[in-house]
Amino acid sequence: MPRKVIEIAQKIEYLSILDENANLDKKLEPDIPADKLKEMYRYMLLGRRTDERMLKMQRQGRLGTFPQSAGHEAISMGSAANIGKDDWHVPAYRELAGMLYRGWPIENIILFWNGFEEGTRPPELVNDLPICVPIATQLPHAVGIAMAMNIKKEKNVVMTYFGDGAASEGDCHEALNFASVFKAPVVFVCLNNQYAISVPLSRQMNCETIAQRAIAYNIPGIRVDGNDVLAVYVATKEAVERARAGLGPSLIEGLTYRLTPHTTADDPKRYRSDAETDEWMKKEPLIRFGKYLVNKGVMSPKDLEEMEADVDSQVKKAVEKAEEMAKCEDLTNPYNIIDHVFSDVPQFLQEQREELGEYIKRENDRKAKKAKSETGARS
Amino acid sequence: MTVDFKLPDLGEGIHEAEILSIKVKEGDAVEEDQPLFEVETDKAVVEIPSPYKGTITKIHVDEGKVVTVGSVMISFDVGGSAKAEKSASSTAEKTVNDAGSTSKTAAATKVKEPAEVARPASGNGRAGKIHDPNRPVPAAPAVRQLARELGVDLHSVAGTGPNGRVLKEDVKASATGTISRMASKNHSAPAPVEQEAPAISLQDKYGGAGSATAFDASPMVAQPVELPDFDRFGKTERVPLKSIRRKIAMNMTLSWTHIPHVTHFDEANVTELARLLDKRDSQKERKGPRLTMTACAVKAVVNGLKKYPQFNSSLDEAKGEIVFKHFFNIGVAVATERGLIVPVIQNADQKSILEIAQDLADIAEKTRSGKIELDKLQGGTFTITNIGAIGGTSMVPMVNYPEAAILGMARASQKPIVKNGAIEIGTIMPLALSFDHRLADGAEAAYFVRHVINLLEDPLSLMLD
Repeated sequence: MPRKVIEIAQKIEYLSILDENANLDKKLEPDIPADKLKEMYRYMLLGRRTDERMLKMQRQGRLGTFPQSAGHEAISMGSAANIGKDDWHVPAYRELAGMLYRGWPIENIILFWNGFEEGTRPPELVNDLPICVPIATQLPHAVGIAMAMNIKKEKNVVMTYFGDGAASEGDCHEALNFASVFKAPVVFVCLNNQYAISVPLSRQMNCETIAQRAIAYNIPGIRVDGNDVLAVYVATKEAVERARAGLGPSLIEGLTYRLTPHTTADDPKRYRSDAETDEWMKKEPLIRFGKYLVNKGVMSPKDLEEMEADVDSQVKKAVEKAEEMAKCEDLTNPYNIIDHVFSDVPQFLQEQREELGEYIKRENDRKAKKAKSETGARS
Repeated sequence: MTVDFKLPDLGEGIHEAEILSIKVKEGDAVEEDQPLFEVETDKAVVEIPSPYKGTITKIHVDEGKVVTVGSVMISFDVGGSAKAEKSASSTAEKTVNDAGSTSKTAAATKVKEPAEVARPASGNGRAGKIHDPNRPVPAAPAVRQLARELGVDLHSVAGTGPNGRVLKEDVKASATGTISRMASKNHSAPAPVEQEAPAISLQDKYGGAGSATAFDASPMVAQPVELPDFDRFGKTERVPLKSIRRKIAMNMTLSWTHIPHVTHFDEANVTELARLLDKRDSQKERKGPRLTMTACAVKAVVNGLKKYPQFNSSLDEAKGEIVFKHFFNIGVAVATERGLIVPVIQNADQKSILEIAQDLADIAEKTRSGKIELDKLQGGTFTITNIGAIGGTSMVPMVNYPEAAILGMARASQKPIVKNGAIEIGTIMPLALSFDHRLADGAEAAYFVRHVINLLEDPLSLMLD
């Protein structure tokens, strides 16, 4: 019964390819075709502009509370670029760029944040789960899907996302542990933006990185510059290849920063310094990627401008469409809140349904009466 | 075509916002998304961009005003398109609905129903069915816990909260077998003041964010009473209840609704003390600050609080505990142009009477000029209010929540005094101690005030303390 040392690997890689000043590490640069690079930039930009538009709409009373994605485009897009339609995309709620890339219409996103569950319906032909607002609950789902694929002998992978706050929750451990034990083909992508709403990372964990938790699960783990779309692309590409080859899950931590509040109901000035925010603004993912494309000759500054205008008009049209859709009979039927909760409406809900009917009738009468009296007053 | 823009719910469950600045004026042509207002909610300062392109016909709000969600803020002329009207009105309607219900419900109801309608007081309609054991009972987790502790079946309780929600007092009333206070009344029940208000106020008072909107308005709007139409009788003017006035209103409501007040009256014969103070005042080469009756009262009160600590305590209603404070921070009410402010003399027990007098002079000056630091307004344990300079024979002061007591000093004036069968002239100062009757009894208050009076009547022992 000696006391002896158990040897385990104790190193975690860090990867950065394109730095904040768009300096490129040529040796590490991935070979991505020009068209794909353009597409990736376009969806990152589309995510950003949609996010900005939605923030304005919320302030105008046209959208419910929602969490912003600005700053997370590189992690979302760089990883989503590595999976196909048959693979699974299991997001948290800041993966707007990736969702749009997967084919989610902007209208659905807007409908979702306006409280219409119809907005959660994934586009045809992709294996996606909808936005997941509860923290970390999507991770066991992702692992369950991946374990099912193992049983069904499918060769697809699951790409799932979570934040640094979710990393502190039990679901995260359970998911990583199950995935590791059962070699589930999952790529865990952590969007480490360093704050769980207002709680800084240092108050959430006593570790240097989230990636190092991979050591405990005996799976590959890596921290990447989460604002460097190329680094994210390379790390997730390797992880997807491993998963597809039956080698099980990987953990990828992208270090990033929210450029905006946590949600529309949050004021980050109360817990983040201006100096810190300014510093991270310089590191945001779109500017450096744009410069990279220009330096590489994939796009000219003029091309970028044209894409900007094109994206703006796409967002504008989508907003109009979403607001038009929100008026249609299917979505506005007040009984929707009751009719689809249970397969058979229970007695107490049936009573509420009847009360709702009486209420609607009463209000319609009142409205009609009011309209009549106003007309009378005018004439 | 004119459309109105109403204040949306800018956060989650925001009731109101204060207008910090208005960035446009009437007659301006604005583009969509052009900033209109900067407003502060209790969560954040946010900018509101214009939802329309058009001309501003009227601005309905003023800077500094607190606006509730759903109030019309600004009207636009957006041109004649019918489509614009339709989309605008649906937006506005949804805005209102968002305040109280999920967006889904809001959107669902907006086609068929006007937005202004109140939600159904469903508590009423269900009164006869409350015993259905399968019905989910709406109640907060804290209320459920209380019900478990008291052995109350929530199904048997008539909820008096919004939409029939069961409140703590319903459970308590049910446990004691009394008929729920509100149940027999109408169902526009008040918000659960007891649960929320004290915590918020304490936070604000002892180092909270310090913004006016940090207060939950529920104690004030619990049962808003409709005013008569004064304009029928004459010209009126309305100004918003804001900043200090608003805070005072909040704190007074808390004090009045939470503290069972009793006031004890007595008189101090301060002939000797008044003579000494006058003498010091008239000295030409006086060293140090002017010594005032208030400074002497602070000194005497601190001495009394040490002997009667219940007047230096607070009642923790939530935990059912009395918090005795081992520090003596005496608040002194100062009238300012903006309203009454109570700066605090910190650690008054560790200060000499002259230091207290100097502190008083400093904080009164700083408070009047609006330069008082926030930490000098916090942490009071007892308050003194002296209206003697203005007049009055006595008063019933209100406890400065969440303290236990407040001492009111009225004007010290010359009065006939019967002493040993003869009448002589002396200086009498009426005193009034209002206190939280849950924390102290009348006899204790009488002893405490007597203790203070004994010191005021014997300047030598006061100075030597």
